[in-house]
Amino acid sequence: MKERLTRRELLKSATAAAAGATALTLFPHPLLAHFGGAGLEPLPPIQDPKVKELALRAIEASRSAGASYADVRLTHLYVRRLGEVMHVGVRTLVNGYWGFAASPVWTPEEMVRLGREAVHQAKTNALGKERTVEFTPITPIADGHWTMPVKRDPFTMDPAEIKDLLDSLVWYIRRPELQRRFDELSVAQSGYDYVMMEKAFASSEGGYCTQRLYRSSGIFEVVGVRGGMNITAGLDFLSPAAMGWELYRDHDLQASLGELIDRMDAELRLPVVPVEVGRYDTVMDARNTAFLLDQTIGRATELDRALGYEANAGGTSYINDPLGMVGSFQVGGERLTVTANRSEPGGCATVKWDDEGVTPDEFSLVKAGVLTDFQTVRESAGWLKDYYIKRQLAVRSHGCSNAPTAREAQLSHTPNLVLSPGAEAQDFDALVRTLKDGIAVMSHGTQIDFDMDFQSLTGLGMSGSFYRVKNGRRVARIQGAAMLFRSPELWKGLLALGGPATARRYGMDSTKGEPVQGTFHSVTAPPAVFKQVTLIDPQRKA
Amino acid sequence: MTRSADDARLLSAADCDALVARIERLARGGGATECDIISWWTGELRWGRNRVTLGSDRRDVSVGVHRRLPGRFGEAIARTNQLDDVSLEATVRAAERSHAEALPNAELSFEPPQPPLPVPSPAIWSDSTFNLTTEARGEVARAVIAPAEAQGLLSAGYVEVLAMSFWHVANRERRYDRFTQTQCSMTVRDSQGMGSGWAGLSSYDWTKIDPSALAERALQKCVASRNPVALEPGRYTVILEPQAVADLLEVFVGSFGRDTPAELGGGPFALSRNEALQIWHSKLGLKVIDERLTLSHNPADPQLGILPEPGQQSVTWIENGVLTNLAYSRNYALEKMLEDFPVRSPHVSYRLSGGQTSVEEMIATTKRGLLVTRFWGIRDPLDGKSLLTTGLTRDGLWLVENGKITKPVKNFRFTESPLFVLNQVEQLGVPVPVFRPGQMWNITPAVVPPLKARDFSFTSMADAI
Repeated sequence: MKERLTRRELLKSATAAAAGATALTLFPHPLLAHFGGAGLEPLPPIQDPKVKELALRAIEASRSAGASYADVRLTHLYVRRLGEVMHVGVRTLVNGYWGFAASPVWTPEEMVRLGREAVHQAKTNALGKERTVEFTPITPIADGHWTMPVKRDPFTMDPAEIKDLLDSLVWYIRRPELQRRFDELSVAQSGYDYVMMEKAFASSEGGYCTQRLYRSSGIFEVVGVRGGMNITAGLDFLSPAAMGWELYRDHDLQASLGELIDRMDAELRLPVVPVEVGRYDTVMDARNTAFLLDQTIGRATELDRALGYEANAGGTSYINDPLGMVGSFQVGGERLTVTANRSEPGGCATVKWDDEGVTPDEFSLVKAGVLTDFQTVRESAGWLKDYYIKRQLAVRSHGCSNAPTAREAQLSHTPNLVLSPGAEAQDFDALVRTLKDGIAVMSHGTQIDFDMDFQSLTGLGMSGSFYRVKNGRRVARIQGAAMLFRSPELWKGLLALGGPATARRYGMDSTKGEPVQGTFHSVTAPPAVFKQVTLIDPQRKA
Repeated sequence: MTRSADDARLLSAADCDALVARIERLARGGGATECDIISWWTGELRWGRNRVTLGSDRRDVSVGVHRRLPGRFGEAIARTNQLDDVSLEATVRAAERSHAEALPNAELSFEPPQPPLPVPSPAIWSDSTFNLTTEARGEVARAVIAPAEAQGLLSAGYVEVLAMSFWHVANRERRYDRFTQTQCSMTVRDSQGMGSGWAGLSSYDWTKIDPSALAERALQKCVASRNPVALEPGRYTVILEPQAVADLLEVFVGSFGRDTPAELGGGPFALSRNEALQIWHSKLGLKVIDERLTLSHNPADPQLGILPEPGQQSVTWIENGVLTNLAYSRNYALEKMLEDFPVRSPHVSYRLSGGQTSVEEMIATTKRGLLVTRFWGIRDPLDGKSLLTTGLTRDGLWLVENGKITKPVKNFRFTESPLFVLNQVEQLGVPVPVFRPGQMWNITPAVVPPLKARDFSFTSMADAI
């Protein structure tokens, strides 16, 4: 058992590390790890050569044990001020079979153990039938480092400043002039969450890079009750984002809250009517459209899923012959164009390099309604090689490799998605005005979810508020409504999209894998109008 | 402290005691310090399209430091997975700093100790699970994939063995518990995507799992499910295999654990409100489901063992259809001076009694009905009182006509209440363990019978396969 370090020793070594520590000095203080020196040393910043030494130790051990390819990630995750966890994960390839080993210990001995164990895992399975992996080529990054730019790093802030702002939002709602307008007005949920991750990646191809990434998310939801009716609404811009405290501070919070209350007041003036089952042209606000895009096309275009690699878990894809359908399958109407990236500032999937050391590119998933590509990593991009060559596209991974921490093996996860807005400058209300007789679905800044089937084919949408639209105006709120749809028909019936100024970005998580793992990405979408969507009463039995 | 020896996959009781001693010495500012220490190891094997896609060996620890400062409500918890002195100290300080911001609690300077509640010691450790080697897992995958591949079908699946140690304080006593958990499941699909079959099982003991039998079942279901026909949604007699029953009952058993309790007017077991007494009457003592059904939990039964918590005890929730027990929070029980009560817990493991009728016999005695393998996509109930729920059938649905399976059917979305189904039971079979692996330490085994029920409501077609 190691002796306890004295304060003096700790301070001495901390000062040496402080030069590179910057923002971390305000955080409690760094954890210690054994880097191969005489004893415990202060944890240096992720760019320190000692971290690279550790990483290369794992690569070396993997190669010696027989891996044809190996990569290692070391991650250090800071969760608000309440937790810090460190992990290391080594992935190796032997005769087309993957092996993986992970633990929380950052020491040279453990790097060797993990390298050997990962190869042991791969070799054991390589005893079976042959399997080939066509790894699309990359230019390995040599010693890259990237710190995600944020305006205000919450880890450098006094927690009292955060608490003061969150409290002030609650006090604002308690103002008499707002309270008077309702029978009851109260805060349902309020909170701010933030994490930072430092990650080092090394591969046997000579690649090495380190990154520091941030993610913030917040929630502020208010419940208003009047005349026996109630409405819950929230600030729409607090969904997860790759940002710091600017998640709140970039907005005029007082104005936003005032607007929120005004809208709630107006909504409660609308009469409530029961569901009239039928098919209606339907306008959805940006949040609904974004989540709908994600849970239909976002899931269906994961190439590994479409080929059956998630069949025992979340399911497969309605794009059920991916190699045959890419380039020709009509996913939606002409107005539908979807692109993907891992580069937009603030996007939850944004990184400089993915978890295979690939620099992600911006790519097209759907163009004018036609499926043009899939979400890929180095191995899966190889499955589309013939298509890429035929279309004279680069044969490369789009950089979708991701995992929550180094403790989980990398999988192909959804990148940031963008539904291109319409050319005309129309907002949600303008789209509503185009409907003589239809439905409008609004999220009011609250959680949206769709119940999809295991091929992302049919879905049920019950969240949000449904409104009856007559002659371009929302005339009543519909009690207990839901929409039933089939993805291809829904997107082929895309009638109109909001203009560029109406596009909004939302951060969301997606899970896959066995065991299950979740990562975050963002989806940007404008409000949209869909043709003849089926409206039902979800509680009506057969 | 490094743990790089391969056989030290878990922290021992002595390791944990030493850790806790170090943590307690680091506390500043008085009050109380408690810890919870989890260590775990998993061996995982996943395959898709008839080839193993990943074999893994992973481990981690989690140390939770609970600090309760004098003069503040509640406690604050900070976590780390690093076991060196400075990391532990940083974690203790983080918890103290966080609790210092909690609401002041000047009035209750003395909190009377909670009366002790029994804590079970479930015997859910299996050496067979803990020692299922990487090589053995590889053999399992090869044996399971081969028959599907031989028939030109595509197999995808997953095998996992998990071992976990859990050090915590219960009734002011220090406890160290270990348990194992294992699961094996697979989906066999037609290469054109025209059929899909599934089979799976979870247990604490690997010897209870027969991967070849599961593989055969998934294969047979895939072949039998090809080219399904569309049927009209409507009400059908259903024969639910045990897995389907367990899937459907998730929201029902949740009423005993997670959901708004009956004493506050929530859930399906609240009866009516007595305004004069200002209390909610519950359905205790009333018949709520079929009289052949008894729903119970015994934490000492290895088939039902879960992570031990104070207040977990052998309990019969429903006896011969009559609601016999409800779970309460400790505070409510103290208030009402209840003795010997089941404590509310989000982890609900259960055994549902059954009968003797086999699934084959249920089919043979059905004029017209649907045989269901499993349900999927069931989330929170649409209505908390009736437990009306929606979800989908998956991986095998067949039409039964005049005592025989006649054709595979396209999947349906259903809108039905498990409470309703358990009141429409015609036949019951022998209860068996099902696939309910939970996640990490949220193990929730269940032993469930197959059953036949009338008038099950399928509301729309979901032609996903």
